[in-house]
Amino acid sequence: MTTPTHGASALAVHGLTRTYGSGDTTITALAGIDLDFRRGSFTAVMGPSGSGKSTFLSCAAGLDRPTAGRVLVGGEDVTDWDEDRRTRLRRERIGFVFQGFHLLPYLSAAQNVALPARLAGHRPDRAKVRHLLERVGLGDRTHHLPGSMSGGQQQRVAIARALVTEPEVVLADEPTGALDSATARQILGLLRSSVTEMGQTVVMVTHDPVAASYADEVVFLVDGRVAGRMTHPTADAVAGQMAHLDDLVVAR
Amino acid sequence: MNALALRSLRHRPLAATATFLAVLLGTVLIGSFATLAESSSAASGTDADTLVILGAVVGGWGSMIVLFSVASTVGVTTHQRSGEIGLLRTVGATPRQARRLVVRETAAVTTVAAVLGALVASLTGHALFDMVRSGGLVSDATVYDAGPASVGAAALLVLLVAALATWVAARRATRGPAGVLLREAAAEQGRMRWWRVLAAVVLIGYGIAMAVITVAVTAHDDDPYAAMSTSGSSSILVGVGLAVLAPVLLRLLAAPAGLLVGRTGASGHLASYNTARRAHLLAGVLAPVLVLTSAAVGTLLLVDIDARTLPAGNPDSDTITLLNNVVVGMLSLFAAIMVVNAFVAAIAHRRDELQRLRLIGATPRQVERSVVAEAAIVAAIGVVLGTLAALTTVVPFAIARHEGAVPDGGLWLVPAVVAGVVALTLGAARTSVRAQSRARVVGR
Repeated sequence: MTTPTHGASALAVHGLTRTYGSGDTTITALAGIDLDFRRGSFTAVMGPSGSGKSTFLSCAAGLDRPTAGRVLVGGEDVTDWDEDRRTRLRRERIGFVFQGFHLLPYLSAAQNVALPARLAGHRPDRAKVRHLLERVGLGDRTHHLPGSMSGGQQQRVAIARALVTEPEVVLADEPTGALDSATARQILGLLRSSVTEMGQTVVMVTHDPVAASYADEVVFLVDGRVAGRMTHPTADAVAGQMAHLDDLVVAR
Repeated sequence: MNALALRSLRHRPLAATATFLAVLLGTVLIGSFATLAESSSAASGTDADTLVILGAVVGGWGSMIVLFSVASTVGVTTHQRSGEIGLLRTVGATPRQARRLVVRETAAVTTVAAVLGALVASLTGHALFDMVRSGGLVSDATVYDAGPASVGAAALLVLLVAALATWVAARRATRGPAGVLLREAAAEQGRMRWWRVLAAVVLIGYGIAMAVITVAVTAHDDDPYAAMSTSGSSSILVGVGLAVLAPVLLRLLAAPAGLLVGRTGASGHLASYNTARRAHLLAGVLAPVLVLTSAAVGTLLLVDIDARTLPAGNPDSDTITLLNNVVVGMLSLFAAIMVVNAFVAAIAHRRDELQRLRLIGATPRQVERSVVAEAAIVAAIGVVLGTLAALTTVVPFAIARHEGAVPDGGLWLVPAVVAGVVALTLGAARTSVRAQSRARVVGR
């Protein structure tokens, strides 16, 4: 598909601001954040409810337009792109993994993985689809429909789909939110290995300290601002930091 | 329970509208003809006969289509809620409670619609009577004489059918353990119940039997209308019978029909798999398309053959032509509304899924094209099967009127009806998907 643009940054946001409403009722979801996600890095974005982490993901993916600031994907400024170009951006250069899997119920596992290529008007690369499904441990389920798979299996299909276009960045929105802890560990392991072994870039929004501990770095958001960072996170350290942030929010 | 039912209704205006419209129009249609039958009791001799035939026979066949449509609309809207019903069950509602919620909710909508329909029917019934009288079908001495009895009975009939259909659908949706229901709603596998297959076999068998009787017996009758009375309803019977089997037919025929739209493009690819693997969703659209085609082609050709072959100067001819045309007109209108209704309901049900397509990178155009391609597949299957069903009226009647198996004229009516039905189906699909696919994409 697209050859990754050269440069160290897979995704970057500069002064990213998003407000809703106007006048007295203005709600600031993002108050000017600057973040740079290196190619081949795994970053968890954490924060209490309402901290702006979902808004950040929507703006980064081109689903929502920021009020101010820039969004750069692979070094290219995509902020002002129209809906069509942003649709192509999502299709070819961004991979998505959602909490609710978001598979098409009437397409088999292999067809779901091949869908981004089809939508882009390419002939799907069967060998690659097969290889990815084997990679996520579903080599024997390629022809199964989502309805006959467990949640963990569906999420693994979704990860294969996110990786198939070799995107600049994989955006994961609470990817383990709907799964039990054992299955969640498998999913996080897969995301981790896509970074370590395939050189993917993953940005994951989560509220789960265990999930965050799989990342290289954790970015904490509070009230739409970056409130801290942590490299080489452990679940305990992240949980401690989150409790501290919750106290800050309650104290206000 | 009632409060919950009403609150839940407010969150589902579209599905409620579909049910409301089906019941309202159904009551108006059946009620109007019922007033003719009621007026017959005050009329004398041949006038009474004419009114009874008009009301009971014509209204009777119309009722069958109407009741089928009402039942299928209510069934579809209830089936679409199996996920939500499963959710209610998991949080502790008993199957009985969940069923009562659905039944009461539908009852609230259908009662209002039926009462309103009965009021409208007393006006349209009068208008229909005036038309019949000014057409010279009954003498001027006969007057409109229908009270609330006929329209009330019509409303009650529609209500009963709607209630029965809801109960059956709700029962299916509430059977089994709660967790299984949630999973099955996601898997969306439609199965055919034995009584449905039986009903279809009886309808199709009856229709074909009438066709055989036409060729073997009534074709040789002295009364030229004996053949019409036996063959006239066959197309509707077989059409409705096939429509009852719509989910199975769609699943079997979607693959070959999918070749028409092509599987190579992304939209055609999506459409052919969706129609085949989730046939029960689009079966609600296939059913009215099929019945509309079979009723229109069958009856229009019947009227055409009749007008061409009847010995000149037969006084009954005008009456029967007018009647048949009224029936075709009203049923076409009804079926057209059902097609649009079914599409809007199906698309509303798929909002999340269409949104999902946008999220993973489909353009609004691709989403629209895939839904229109689905409509094309459904329309193709519907018009082919509908035309086949119509043959059970056309062929025997053409033979009875000595034209042979193929009528001598009027064959242009077939492509005309087919073009109309296809245009209607594609138009309904396009309009109902537009609003959805153009909406802004939101995450999650």
